[in-house]
Amino acid sequence: MRFRFLHRNTREIAKDVDDEIRAHLELRIEALVTSGLSRDEARREAIRRFGDLDGTRRYCREQGEGKERNMRRRLALGDLAQDMRIAVRGLLRAPALAATIVATVGLGIGATAAIFAILDAALLRPLPYAQPEQLVRIFTDAPPYRFRFSVADYLALDAQQTAFTRVAAYADRPMTYTDGASAERLRGRQVSWTYFDTLGLVPALGRTFTAADGRPGAPQVAIVSQPFWRQRLGGAADAIGKTVRLDSVDYAVVGVLPAATGPLEAGQDFFVAAQWRTPPRKGPFFITAIGRLPDPSKGAAAAAELRAINKRIFPIWQSSYQDDRATWGLMDLKVYLAGQFRNIARLGLIAVALVWLIACVNASNLLVARVTSRRRELAVRAALGASRGRVVRYLLAESAVLAVAAAALGVALAWIGINLARTAGAPYIPRAQEIVMGGRTLIVLAGVTLFSALMFGLIPAVHGAGGSVSDDLRSQGRSSTGSRAVRRLRGALVGCQFAVATPLLVVAGLLIVSLARLGHVEVGFDTHNVLTGAVLLPAAQYNDDAKVVTLWERLKSQVAALPGVTDVAYVDSRPPDDAGNQNNFDLEASPTASGGSQPVTTWVDVSPEYYRLVAHRLIDGRLPDARDGATTSASVVVVDEPWARRFFPGQSAVGKRLKGGGCSTCDWTTVIGVVSPVKYDGLGNPEQGTVYTPMTETGKGMADSFSARQRYIAVRTAASSPAMAAEIRRVLHDLDPDLPFTRVSTIDDLVGESLQQPRGLSMLVGALAIVALVLSVVGIYGVMAHYVQQQAKDISIRLALGGSPRSVVARLVRRGMTLVACGVAAGIAAAAVFTRLLATLLFGVRPGDPLTFSAVTVLMLGAALVACGLPALRAAAVEPAAVLRSD
Amino acid sequence: MPSALPLLQGTVDLLVLGAIRPKAMHGYGIATAIDERSGGQLQLDDAALYQALHRLERQGCVEAQWGASENNRRARYYTLTPKGRRRLAEQTAYWRSYSRALDAILRGA
Repeated sequence: MRFRFLHRNTREIAKDVDDEIRAHLELRIEALVTSGLSRDEARREAIRRFGDLDGTRRYCREQGEGKERNMRRRLALGDLAQDMRIAVRGLLRAPALAATIVATVGLGIGATAAIFAILDAALLRPLPYAQPEQLVRIFTDAPPYRFRFSVADYLALDAQQTAFTRVAAYADRPMTYTDGASAERLRGRQVSWTYFDTLGLVPALGRTFTAADGRPGAPQVAIVSQPFWRQRLGGAADAIGKTVRLDSVDYAVVGVLPAATGPLEAGQDFFVAAQWRTPPRKGPFFITAIGRLPDPSKGAAAAAELRAINKRIFPIWQSSYQDDRATWGLMDLKVYLAGQFRNIARLGLIAVALVWLIACVNASNLLVARVTSRRRELAVRAALGASRGRVVRYLLAESAVLAVAAAALGVALAWIGINLARTAGAPYIPRAQEIVMGGRTLIVLAGVTLFSALMFGLIPAVHGAGGSVSDDLRSQGRSSTGSRAVRRLRGALVGCQFAVATPLLVVAGLLIVSLARLGHVEVGFDTHNVLTGAVLLPAAQYNDDAKVVTLWERLKSQVAALPGVTDVAYVDSRPPDDAGNQNNFDLEASPTASGGSQPVTTWVDVSPEYYRLVAHRLIDGRLPDARDGATTSASVVVVDEPWARRFFPGQSAVGKRLKGGGCSTCDWTTVIGVVSPVKYDGLGNPEQGTVYTPMTETGKGMADSFSARQRYIAVRTAASSPAMAAEIRRVLHDLDPDLPFTRVSTIDDLVGESLQQPRGLSMLVGALAIVALVLSVVGIYGVMAHYVQQQAKDISIRLALGGSPRSVVARLVRRGMTLVACGVAAGIAAAAVFTRLLATLLFGVRPGDPLTFSAVTVLMLGAALVACGLPALRAAAVEPAAVLRSD
Repeated sequence: MPSALPLLQGTVDLLVLGAIRPKAMHGYGIATAIDERSGGQLQLDDAALYQALHRLERQGCVEAQWGASENNRRARYYTLTPKGRRRLAEQTAYWRSYSRALDAILRGA
């Protein structure tokens, strides 16, 4: 308090300086007059001797003000440090409370920020290309499906469009890279020469592709990624012009991409310039087309042009493509890249934000309780002269210490989460390499932290500072008018917690039910002990049919001879979600009208042994045998039971005929058998029917057909055989050291992988829901315990006067459960609306599933009942006399 | 009156601190004391003196308090703080060794 007297404001400082100088001048004048000068002369001489009067005045004022500022700052810092010291000391005396608040709010802050960062990178941030808002994806639009383009489509688009500055196309083209010593399968893409120009990507080294590179017959060229260049080409500038051997063809390296590229380039090792020729038929549809619009607001005009081009080229391909309802459309490239992830990320963000909110409410509730129990202490401080502001500041200091600790934990968790998402999450999260802690994420982090601090700082502080001091002193910290307001506030907070936790639990429940249903979906056969892997024969080496046939035959017979192997087969698809082909066809019995859409189902190409390996149950007809292989003219297929039921309900599908692939000039294909179903389109998707075509084993054209050179080999062993992959690799290496054995996986693992995303999501939301439930239960328990403590005397009197403990307990529990019931009711109502948004993420359970809703309601109420009952029972069990005497 | 010597930069603070070491003084008193002690040889104008006083006050080397002067006027009296005492000792030692070194060089020349 001593310093307060020294505080001077600007005006006082100026006055002091002026007074001081005036005093000086007067003393000087007097001395000069004494020495014999006249008064006027003395004044002039005094001023002359002083020198720069105004400058000095100004300088001295500045010094005075600066001193004042320093002093105030020091004092404020001193007070703050003192507040913090007291707060930390106070909190250390309540470690459970402090730890609960810091851990839950910190988790909330960290998880919210981390998931926001993921969502920001995947959905919000513009694509890291030049003028990204101009970029669109162009697709074949056959509602509800969106298909990729074919080469025929793209060439027509490129030649005829005027609405786009540039169009480009790309297709995945994994190839085997050989450097003489070893062979490895690398990820790469075949792209139109316009690809990099369209995206606005400039190679860090060398040049981009030119029109000449895309001309059929031109020298083959490639642009490689920065990692490829460093690891395999020595990372030097002389890499330009070197050749790399991909699938046994030499490509000249003309460029190296910069280290930082966009999501389309992420994880790709190389890009080769496609040399597309006009194909003999319209399909297959395997390339993704993109375009750059000069003016993104003119999307509608561009879409109209796309439809016009599609209409124009339709008659050209009518012999191989009859669906005239399918047209072309365009969509924002960013939206296309985010895909299904949009829903998942939003759900995740909402879930963590809700938990964060509950954590804040819980912290607020706990601190209100703490303030209430210390009202007397605070009242004494106030009575002794501490200003109201000082008391509020003292309370705020505790909140600030907690908020800083929670924020520190939150930032650390966010940082860990973001790094995990960028590395471990990369395969599941679009644009994972763009996830950073920065920009909007930092703003959200700061906002969330600030809101947390206010939430559990201001509410208790305002509450603690309010009310009459004398009331608090008189009340002795027992029942008082103030505590009724506290109860109401805490009751409302607890009600809110239950209202927020309930929908979270409902969502978690629905996701877990979905996952359980998904896990019980039958793949269709005994998936144990089946190993699969891909083998691709490069076109350049396997350029004659005999070579291809020999390799496949040898591989099969040598693998079959390995110990423990019971079956070996070739197939082009893998259960549960890797279907080789979706093919359209026309049925002889019910032909599709010209211009209509033909039915589409999954087509799986299998070698004859596959039926035995999978142990397909033959329901009708027969399986292909030697007869069918011998006569190549009459082609036959086997269908599965859902196919037969879908197209020939109530009758036998055997003997029915169809023409596949929209080929109107082909011979009829006959259905010879019906087998039990196997899942190829994902466990969560309904059975649409599958057609099994016999894999070409011999015959002409194998070397020219990509599908005849790429196969999965499937091996069933008698018992679990972890070494089998290595054995097969050895066999393959002995046959041809240049052939890699890739994508090796057991069917069990593939099923597990397909469940990974739903499992991860339900685990995340489930864990959050449990945290929310626990926090809500802690909240109601705290409120009840406090209430019971305040009512101890009242309860004892009732018991002493002969009230039954039962009625006491019932009265107390009723109070608590009323709050909880209100909260849960509000939560259930919110959940009923909210869960509709996640229909696409559910499988086998409706968003409004009554069983889940009632189970959650029972769980919430049950947990709350225990939390309310414990303090009530304890209160009823005390010896009334002891309580009444204790005062 | 012989023409007074201009003051070297940095010596004003030293002179001011030295002047108020024995007892609290106001600005005019300090000016007179310096003038008398140097026999009128050092030319310290009042402006520089007051600027030095206020600068030293801000730095915490001196403390000021209003009081009554000899002839009962209101005057601002300056006293040394512990920090000012330390500063004075440092500066004095520095100037002594500086002038000794300078002296030795000039004598050798």
